[in-house]
Amino acid sequence: MITLKINGQTVQIEKGATILAAAEKSGIRIPTLCYLKKVSPTGACRICVVDVQGAEKPMASCHTPAEEGMEVTTESPRLSKIRKQVIELLLVNHPLDCPVCDAAGECELQNICYEHDVTTQPFVAEDVNADAITGWPLIEQVPNRCVMCEKCVKVCHEVVGADALCVNLKGDRAFIDKDLTKCEFCGNCVQVCPTGTMISKPFKFQARGWELSKVASTCTSCGSQCQIDLHVKNNRLFRVTSQDGVTINDGNLCFNGFFGSDYVHSSLRLTAPLLKSGNTQRSVDWDEALSAAATALQGGKVAAIAGNRLTNEEAFLFQHLFRQGLGCNDLDSEARFGLQRAYDLLQHHFGMQGGTAGLGRIAAAAAVLVIGADPTAEAPAVDWLSQKACRKHDGKMVVVNARTIKLSQYANVPMTCRPGSEGIVAGAIARLILDQGLADAGWLGANVANLDELRTALAAVDIDQAAAACGVSRALLEEAADLLGRAPSVAIVFGGDIYRESQFAGTLGAVLNLALVSGALQGEAGGLYPIGAGANSQGLLKMGVASDLLPGGQPAPTKGRDLQEILSAIESGEVRTLFVAGANPLAFPESRRWQKALEKLETLIVQDCLASDFTDMASIVLPGVTFVEKSGSVTSSAHRISPLAAAIATCGDARPDLQILGDLLARVAPSALLSAAQLSAEVERCSALPAPVGTLRAAAMPLAEPLPSPVLLAGKDLYYAAATNSASAASHEVVPGGYIALNPVDAAGLGVKAGEKVKVTSSLGALEGPAQLAATVPAGLCFVPYNCADVNVQAILPFGSNAETVAISKA
Amino acid sequence: MSQVVFSSWGRKVVDHRVSGGDADLASLKLKLTDSYLEQGKVGAFFGWDGIIVLDRATDVVAMAAEYMTRVQEKYCCAKCTPGKRGTRILQDTLTRIVSGQGQESDLDTIEEVADLLQSCKCTLCMTSVIPVLDTVKHYRSDYLAYLRGERSLPATKVYKEKLTAPCMDRCPAHIDIPAYIEEIKSYRFDDSLGAIRRNMPIPAVCGRVCPHPCEKACRRALVDEPVNIMVLKRVAADHEWMHHKQPPMVPKAATGKKVIVVGAGPAGLTCAFYLALEGHKVKIIDMLGEPGGTVAVGIPDYRMPRHLLRRDAEIIADLGVEIEYGVKLGRDVSLKELKEQYDAVFLGTGAFKSKPMGVEGEDAGYEGFSAGGIHYLRAVALGEPIVTPKRVIVVGGGNTAIDCVRVALREGCEDSILVYRRTRKEMPAEPYEVDDAEEENVQFEFLRNPTRLIAENNKVVGVEVVVMALGEPDASGRRSPKPVPGSEYVIPCDLVIPAIGQDPDLDYLGPEDFGIKMTKWSSIVTKGGTMMTDCAGVFAGGDCEYGAMTVVVAVGHGRRAARAMHRYLTEGKAYLDDEDAMEDIVNNFGAFDPNENVGIIGHLHREHQPKISGAERAKSYVETELAMPESQAVREAERCLRCYRVGMVAVA
Repeated sequence: MITLKINGQTVQIEKGATILAAAEKSGIRIPTLCYLKKVSPTGACRICVVDVQGAEKPMASCHTPAEEGMEVTTESPRLSKIRKQVIELLLVNHPLDCPVCDAAGECELQNICYEHDVTTQPFVAEDVNADAITGWPLIEQVPNRCVMCEKCVKVCHEVVGADALCVNLKGDRAFIDKDLTKCEFCGNCVQVCPTGTMISKPFKFQARGWELSKVASTCTSCGSQCQIDLHVKNNRLFRVTSQDGVTINDGNLCFNGFFGSDYVHSSLRLTAPLLKSGNTQRSVDWDEALSAAATALQGGKVAAIAGNRLTNEEAFLFQHLFRQGLGCNDLDSEARFGLQRAYDLLQHHFGMQGGTAGLGRIAAAAAVLVIGADPTAEAPAVDWLSQKACRKHDGKMVVVNARTIKLSQYANVPMTCRPGSEGIVAGAIARLILDQGLADAGWLGANVANLDELRTALAAVDIDQAAAACGVSRALLEEAADLLGRAPSVAIVFGGDIYRESQFAGTLGAVLNLALVSGALQGEAGGLYPIGAGANSQGLLKMGVASDLLPGGQPAPTKGRDLQEILSAIESGEVRTLFVAGANPLAFPESRRWQKALEKLETLIVQDCLASDFTDMASIVLPGVTFVEKSGSVTSSAHRISPLAAAIATCGDARPDLQILGDLLARVAPSALLSAAQLSAEVERCSALPAPVGTLRAAAMPLAEPLPSPVLLAGKDLYYAAATNSASAASHEVVPGGYIALNPVDAAGLGVKAGEKVKVTSSLGALEGPAQLAATVPAGLCFVPYNCADVNVQAILPFGSNAETVAISKA
Repeated sequence: MSQVVFSSWGRKVVDHRVSGGDADLASLKLKLTDSYLEQGKVGAFFGWDGIIVLDRATDVVAMAAEYMTRVQEKYCCAKCTPGKRGTRILQDTLTRIVSGQGQESDLDTIEEVADLLQSCKCTLCMTSVIPVLDTVKHYRSDYLAYLRGERSLPATKVYKEKLTAPCMDRCPAHIDIPAYIEEIKSYRFDDSLGAIRRNMPIPAVCGRVCPHPCEKACRRALVDEPVNIMVLKRVAADHEWMHHKQPPMVPKAATGKKVIVVGAGPAGLTCAFYLALEGHKVKIIDMLGEPGGTVAVGIPDYRMPRHLLRRDAEIIADLGVEIEYGVKLGRDVSLKELKEQYDAVFLGTGAFKSKPMGVEGEDAGYEGFSAGGIHYLRAVALGEPIVTPKRVIVVGGGNTAIDCVRVALREGCEDSILVYRRTRKEMPAEPYEVDDAEEENVQFEFLRNPTRLIAENNKVVGVEVVVMALGEPDASGRRSPKPVPGSEYVIPCDLVIPAIGQDPDLDYLGPEDFGIKMTKWSSIVTKGGTMMTDCAGVFAGGDCEYGAMTVVVAVGHGRRAARAMHRYLTEGKAYLDDEDAMEDIVNNFGAFDPNENVGIIGHLHREHQPKISGAERAKSYVETELAMPESQAVREAERCLRCYRVGMVAVA
């Protein structure tokens, strides 16, 4: 700690802190404009200047470290004059369009002018500002409003790592420019802009900032569940922001957080219950719809499927309705093909129900391994935290992926492996760590019950064979092992490529074993993080929405039909009524088989908020709501429980999902009804983290050979991360629809140009879509995103698989 | 020498406009070159510390307007409010005045805005107001003449300007040091390396073994301690390979011109790099079996790991440069042949001939007498079968001598003794390297000079030395040592390595030397900063041109030569362009004032890279200096004051 004096007041602060931080700590306000705590100091505006005894020149307090014995003055006639004149300079050629400027009322330039009594503008200069840039998707840039604080540039580079923004040109012509190919449309530039320079096109001219009510809630576009503020007026959601400093995500949002919730007001919203008679659906009142649904459910031969848009309360009530209300155990969720695989193995081997608690530990890790995951698309907050560990905290990063992902550029060891060989890579690294003596033998001995099995499993790994099989050099494997083995703390992030693949047990087993030998489960930093699951997948599993899990997430003694078995039972006629809440089987693997099976059902009851090809098939549609219209809680992939706030009234006649489920329960089993207090107590009980188990168990890791080329790989695209993106205008503005991404060399070989149709044929049939040429996709691979109805990759993927050997041709 | 009409340089006003006094540049200690290339006389100079007017006819008001325009439009980074807007207001105000639209209040505006620019983030815009304010103050009547409409803008004048900084100017390769440090502040290590590579293609080398003269011109030293400029360069360079990144450079379209570069040392590699980027087909030949020249075989691996040197060379090869090893000019190929086969030749043959000590027994062919430090280091580096005995004496005080004593330890000697005729203070070796040697238990015999080799059975068993005493300072400013009569004694040893300097070996020039001239120190003479010898199309640089000097001087030569060669190849004439010419004018003038009062407070310690400490490290060739963590580099970069400044000459 050092001691200094600010305005005569004695202040103590840790060494290295700035004068500004010291002043803030002691409650002395120094005005700022370009200062943004979460990025490196820019020192652009010079408004935070202070006098320091011994220095002739005023010093910018935002980037001058406080020193022992320093005497600082923050207010003086000289400083006031400088501040005032600097502000006057900022106003030179600043347009007088405040009445229609988006930032009006929440503009830091306005505030600072007001605060410093800047009422005139004595300086003149030729207006050489660039014209407004209106051609970018979603974001508009108005250079003459810019104060060149570079907050946008820095947040884009230092936090998001997109590095799309830069200062272009010199002198007064300088403006913020963008490399559109790098932009992730996260809107963080808009959020940090102190003026109306970077503005959101969808929000422009829609509302005045001061008219909007801010309602704190939680983003449910992925499992990270960032904390957000919903800005609403007249039952309409106008924008979403997040606050720096106080939120778990430090105010940072991704595309889906900032722009992606426009589906809330989509014309596809279901606004009234529908009942099918013949081939047409007609609007009915709730009583009629609920009666019909209750009757069908009570008719037996029932199964139920839930999606990850349900809250914890809804999820609990969902399984309660079927298990207690209807005595039906045939219920499952879409996590069956995804997170539940990781969940089950983590529970079995490590006694964990999902990943390590707390994403913040990733940023604190000395090394981060990102394997079979694309955090940029699957969990953007994990992308930023992984970068933070390396950029700000000198951590090391290893990236293992079948494609080149955004994080590859930040990796110390970037590895492009053959699709499906991630487990081979993990096993090889684990063996090398053990061989080099870099594992903590004492800890392993004390904590791993079957250490011999671990040693045997790893001893069976032949490094050179592994290198050949995964297509990564031995040197890179050794470098990764050295780096992960030596790091005092390790975070392992794995995603859909690991747990969605058909041979997931061996692959995931290798990742778990690597977690053991690399020390990822030791200490207070780092951990093991499955990412890429949907909004509340973790909550669904904890509430027991699975054929084989009880509420609380423990394995069930007797299991009902799981997703695959439900499908077979529908096909065989053993299930005649299917209830689907917040999920879409047409987006499940083997979607064409689902389509046929669904047509055979006697009654298909769908509870959802958006109309789709699937809801069109329903006999009964119960319109639910989006996350802004309901309250409840959700559980993040890192076990944080967050509240949702009902910020606006429900859309039309739609009802909160909890109410719909409750109404159904009241009709089928009134005795099983729960009071609100009972429900919240159950949710709380089920949400508890499992007690740490005494010993960990290494996993078996039967590793299969990677698939022969060419291979189709399905995964997440940021702009189609969830089914709701299909109703998002913002998503379509950035990426118009589904695509088939190919290496340019492969495309040239097929004679396919960008945008031309390509045909991909698997054992389940053919899929056509426009080609996207991407050097990030290696030769011999094609990548197709999930959640695009127009190029539905699930149509040609078998159950429980994310990759298949296929034939690729020009369509 | 030119007469000075007016000067406000260094805040010292000399005004001979009326008196017609007789101060010339030399008497004012101003090293301003008085002519600009062959284009004319220098009429005036505007810069960061005032104005100097040599030609009475110079329109200083017009020049001030032009100066401010160039500062604002070409150099102002726009990254602080006073700089971005303030210089624009000054530009517009001055432009208004010279176009006859000004008012007297404009002069107040200039003074007011200039005052505000003292709050700038860096010194570029801050110093740019100094010459302008000087004109307003000392040439007010000229302004008034414009304001009253009595004067109008003269016909287009020729002005040449240059952005510089004290460190950048002092660096022999003129790397834009503030730019690469600024990128590190912003966590943009790739961009930092990009800025370095504009002037320096072997950053892994110069991030490690550069004697960093730049740090002697660092203004931060006037506040607390100089910025660790060299190590920041290493951080940027290491970031690339530590992330397995491919360098982004792409050569321009092929020109069809062929160039041969002799020597794959720093000068040759640099020259090849910049020529290849211009699209020329370059081949390098080198007598050694690997790249780097003296860096490879003269700097031990614990200071400069060769895998990184090789990587820098591979990057250059990846630009299409062919490198053939084991080919020696004068032995395997003649200059005549090269001249016939290629469109241009660059000689970067280094300085590999050890200077003799001039002591008795030196030529006797004793076993245990090394041909020289550079030979010893090379033999070790190349893994030649040499045996280092238990007691080794190295004679000399330079970096090579220090390298020899430290390598000898690593080669198994027990007593590694350095004999130097002056004291530690006068040693030309970098002080930190002397400290490092001491930490490794090297023994120092200061104020001792060898007088005789002692041999038994034709084998060295010791060196007779004489005690020296320091006398008066010599021309180099160092106190010259004088032997103390009768003080001779013998230091026993098994091996003596003289390391008192190297000379170029220009035997390859031979009788058909094409008129290439040599200095009396047997180095090659080149002309006018173009690095071209007296033979058209043959260029030279590095140690063979300058005499044994530093890596960074060689890099500077290589780059300058490449620029001139490009013009020679494409235009048939090797000449300096405006950037080169202004670089030389500013360099001659100097951009660092060691007596400046910077006006801010410091107390921030320079960050050092971690190091393997203790004598134990002398047992291996593992690099002793460890990578500085990037967060620490960012902190160090924050100490940079970004001392940019613009100098401009009016050509009369």
